[in-house]
Parts: sequence; structure tokens; C-alpha cells
Amino acid sequence: MDVKNFVTDVVVIGGGGAACRAAIEASERGMNCIMVDKGRPGRSGATPCALWSIQAPFGPRGRDERDSPEQFFEDMVRAGRFIGDQNITEIVAFTACDRILDMERYGVKFKKYDDGRFYQTPMPGQTYPRSTFMYENGQHMSTVLAEEVSRHDSIEVFKDFFAFSLLLNDGRVVGIMGLDMLSGDVLTINAKATVLATGGYTSLWGFSDNPPTLTGDGVAMAYRAGAELVDLEFNQYYGTDVIWPPSVRGTVVLYELMIEEFANGEITDRNGTSIIDKPLPIRDEAIKIIFNVIREGRGTEHGGVFFDTTKSPKGEAAVRDVFDTMTPKHYHFLIDAAGIDLAKVPLEVAPASHYQCGGVYINERGESNLPGFYACGECAGNFQGANRLAGSALCDTQTMGAQVGGCAADDAKKLDLLPPDKKNVKDQMDIIQSFLSDKKSTQRPIFLKEEILKAMDKYVAPFRDGKGLKQGLGIISSLRDEIKKISIPDIGRYNLELREAVESLLALDAAEVTIGSALFREESRGHHNRTDFPETDNSNWRCHTIVVKKGDHQAAYSKRDVIYTRLKPEDK
Amino acid sequence: MNGVIKAKIYRFNPDKDKEPYYKNYEIPVDREVTVHELLSIIHRDYDGTLAYRTFKCYKGMCSTCIVKLNGQSVRSCATPLKIDSEITLEPVKGGRVIRDLVVDFDKM
Repeated sequence: MDVKNFVTDVVVIGGGGAACRAAIEASERGMNCIMVDKGRPGRSGATPCALWSIQAPFGPRGRDERDSPEQFFEDMVRAGRFIGDQNITEIVAFTACDRILDMERYGVKFKKYDDGRFYQTPMPGQTYPRSTFMYENGQHMSTVLAEEVSRHDSIEVFKDFFAFSLLLNDGRVVGIMGLDMLSGDVLTINAKATVLATGGYTSLWGFSDNPPTLTGDGVAMAYRAGAELVDLEFNQYYGTDVIWPPSVRGTVVLYELMIEEFANGEITDRNGTSIIDKPLPIRDEAIKIIFNVIREGRGTEHGGVFFDTTKSPKGEAAVRDVFDTMTPKHYHFLIDAAGIDLAKVPLEVAPASHYQCGGVYINERGESNLPGFYACGECAGNFQGANRLAGSALCDTQTMGAQVGGCAADDAKKLDLLPPDKKNVKDQMDIIQSFLSDKKSTQRPIFLKEEILKAMDKYVAPFRDGKGLKQGLGIISSLRDEIKKISIPDIGRYNLELREAVESLLALDAAEVTIGSALFREESRGHHNRTDFPETDNSNWRCHTIVVKKGDHQAAYSKRDVIYTRLKPEDK
Repeated sequence: MNGVIKAKIYRFNPDKDKEPYYKNYEIPVDREVTVHELLSIIHRDYDGTLAYRTFKCYKGMCSTCIVKLNGQSVRSCATPLKIDSEITLEPVKGGRVIRDLVVDFDKM
């Protein structure tokens, strides 16, 4: 198989909010850029499924004049249970408003008051209402960003391009290798700086509210190249995702809409008894309540709780208007695909995998431990901490997207283009070849992937223990033998089985280090609840978990201090 | 309720096939499924070579899963099929066909 090579200054992996923003910034600083997307830019990944909420402390320019970047910073640090690095949190908090104004310039439509101030919704954990409101939600945001990318001549977009490995020159990352689904060719993109913006890997779990294609290629390719990963045990579940019927399973319906200002409904057990008090708790607390109700046997027929607005004192028409204006795409998807009108019937919902607080370990410039390699957005790790607030994810895509795209571009200006080591290219190529060679056995990647997801659902749920985690690791280890048996009979372009095989290989690494990180942290905090270590242990565990590759399938785990700049924990 | 969905699906892999053709599938189902679910069932259990868009939102938002269902463009993830229906699925217009139902959209 021939390998075609392309050359650029900055290559950005991903096509969602963070990737688009990083590419725009790199381009505006005069660099040539290639952005690669697994699907169509602005239409794949997690950003299109997001809702309206993007936090920015507009203060007098918004809903509550008392709000400030300092308050935003403090809210994030506290919600993250003091595990977020504050050098990064500062950038998010202090540049959020400017980045929202950028988005408005690109064409994203925000709800405003008549006098021009930003309308902002209150969300749990925000001291003052801070979530600016995007009409048409994340889908609108991501397509507008992709359109802005297309207006930059110095950004070339490779669509339907599945990146599966980083290229190295003596330890420096010098680009990527990937499968061009449109032609079936393997391509290398040689670059001075490489920015990972592949989003999270929530769909490494079977029950997720993100697209099922997010199974960890990004962090896995970083890990395989030697990048440090951080805090992978803090995978955030979201409390109220549709569990039934199957055709709309995993659609997010926001419990934050249950406040009096909006739908004024209730989350209830199967008997209709309300289980979440108001004011609403933040996310890590909300999911614990819901999980416990289900574990106690008070759940619904399909193992969830009810999202019920039918008894709202506001009445059906007013409730419908809330859904129709605040989450129009999700509301109509439920009607179109399953005939369910949220304003008319209680819906069965349950906690599903939603967001990765962890990811690639970066500094405030987005640099990883590998020279030439940067990360931003959900695939980057260490600022959300153990939990994140509503509206922080999209805010991160824009603030750190711009910051990291800019830093990568500034560095690329000073660097020479180095070619990848020949042996490195061959090794990465062998990943593809190994699946195409003829073998007697007929293991299919789609079934192998299902086994990984099942293990994650079973052993790495928000409540986990050492015994189960070890069993999970055992399953992952046995699946490594199975993956060697995969042989793809199909040929040519848009070869889904070949893609699934490579995804499975990467997913095994992502699963192993996630389970390993959860096993390493012997305490409970945020979204990580060890039933065998139920207490938060600040004296031993108010720190990051770092994992880095040592040899073949040997992961080394260690602790690292959290960076505190403005707000130290009070108890020391 | 159990039944069968009969699907006639446009197939064309330019790396292998001289001409496009249609292939017929009879898929047992125990409930209404969306077009997307039907394609996933076929790909998983009957024919791993069927190509359809998978890098997409799955929630009715992105529109990249559009296919022609009995001549009409529909979002496959948001379009339920009745048990015992007979359908034809083809790629939509608006770009060259990469393979089977996958189109390289000019505008997306």
C-alpha cells in the first residue's frame, strides 16, 4: 500500500468546536493549517449534540452585574473539587467573554435583552446566571464555526479522514497518519505543530449521550506516542438521558430545565415521588441521587427515573414553549424519531456517559510533554478537575481552542519541518496491514468493540470498586488476543470494518488506562466514586493521576500536584 | 410485535463494482426502527460491507445521515419505519457517491 504525504505548518485533528477555533487562530496568525475531521466539519463529534449553554461572565454586559471572571474562576475551581489546574482555568475564565464575541462575529446567534445585554440562564453551581444562550444550540454553533473555517484560505479541510496515529521524529511529534475514507488511501500529514482536538471518548461506554463514534482514538494515539494523560477516572455521567425507547436512547434532556423559571417539572422515581430537591444540585451530586434511587429498586421498568413535566403548574403549552425555544432540535428529534412529546408524557431517563474531565496533560499553552504536540477541548485534561459545570465544555472549546491554536502557530513559526522517522512510518502502517492480512479466524471488530463497551458499562460506572476494576482490566487484556484475529475481507474506500478494527485497537488502550486510573485513585471525589474507598481523602489524593506508557501495554501511574494560582483549598 | 422489513438498497463500491446495483434484504424486527437503526442492523448482522454514514450526530441535528427513502430525502436517524414495510434506500443528490449510501456532499 502506498502512502501519500501532505505538508503543512499546523495540523489540527478534529472538526468540532475546539478544532475549528484552533484552526481559525492558527490561520489568523499566518500559518498554513490542515484540519482533519472523521466526518463532516461541524457535523460530527460532540459539539452538534450540545445545548444552548456556554458560560461567560459578562457581568454588566449580561444578566447580573455582580458576575465577574474572578467569580467564574472560583465556581469552576470549587465544582472541580480543587483538582483543576488554575493556570488553565484562569485562561478559560478571563478570556471567555472575548471568545463569545468572536463567535458572535462568526455568525452565532445569541439571545439578547432589548438593550443589547446578553441573556444568561442560571445553571447549578453558577453563583450568578452565567450561561449565554445560543439559539439552535450546539448544532448551530458547530456549523457556524465550520463555515468560518471555510472562509480561511490558509486552512485546508480533509473531510471523512480518520486519524489513527501521531508521527514521530526522535520524540518530537511531526504530524499524523490517517485513513482517507473517501479514497481508502492511507495519508501522512507532516507538520511543524500538531494539535489534538478530537473531543472526549464518552462512547467507550455503551450508554452514552454522545455519538457512538467517540471511542478514544485521540487520547489513545497520544498515549501510544508517549504523551502523559491525566485524571481519566473522572468521566462525567449526566443524570437524565433517555433510556427508552431504543430509537432515541441517549438523547440528553436537561434536568437543569426543571427550575421554576423554565419547565418547573420534577425528576421522580417510578411512583412519581420527586427525588431531586430545588435548588438543583450540581452534576456529580445529581447523578449520585439518581443512581441510588435506581440501585434501591425504585427505578422505572427500563432501569431509569422519570423526567416529568406533565404536572408542572405552568401547564402543557408553556412547558412545550420552553422545550421548543430552549432545546428545539432535541425536542423535535424525540417527536420525529419516536413520537414522544416531552411536554405530554413522562420520559424514562438514566445517567449516561457524558464528558471526560481528564485527557492529555497540558500546560496553559496547551503543550503536552511531547515537543510539537498540543491538545485542547475535551481531549485535553487537567483544568475541569473532578467535575464540570454546565456550560464549561463549550466555553473551553473556544477559550482553549484559540489559546492553543495560537500558541501552536507561534511555535510553528520558529520551527523547521522535520520528517517522520522511516521506522515510525512503517510501524504505524503495520497497524493497517495487520488487519488486512489473510487469517483463518474471523473475529469481527464490531463485536470486539461491543465487548469493550460492555466491560466499561459494567465495571467503570460512576460507582466502582477495586475488584470490579481488576475484572475489567482482565477483560481488556483478553480482548488484546482477540484483536490479533481480526481479518478484514472488505476492500476499497469507506471501509467501515477496517475503521472499526483500528478504532477497537485504540479503544483497548483508552479503556485500559481509564480503568487503570480509576483503580489507582483510592478515594472518592467528583465523578469518581470508589465504593471500597467512599471518603474524599484530601491529604493523599488532592492531586492529579498521571498515566504514561512504558513499553508494550505497560502503563505507569503516578500522582502530580495540582497547580493553584489564585485559590488554594481552605483546609491547609 | 414481530415482523419483517424488506429493504432494497443501492450498492456501489467503485473499487470493485463496474456498475451500481440493488441488493434486497429481509430484516426481522420486533418494533419500529429508524432507517439508521435498520442500516446498523444490516451492517452488524447481515452484511459488513454495506457503507453508510456513521461519523454523525445520531440525534437528528447534523443532516449528514440523509438518504433517499422511497425517493424522498430523509434524515435516517429521525425517520421511523413501520414493521412489515417495504422500502427502497438510495444515496441522495448533492455530491458524488463515494460508496453505497455515502455521498461526498458539496455543501457539507
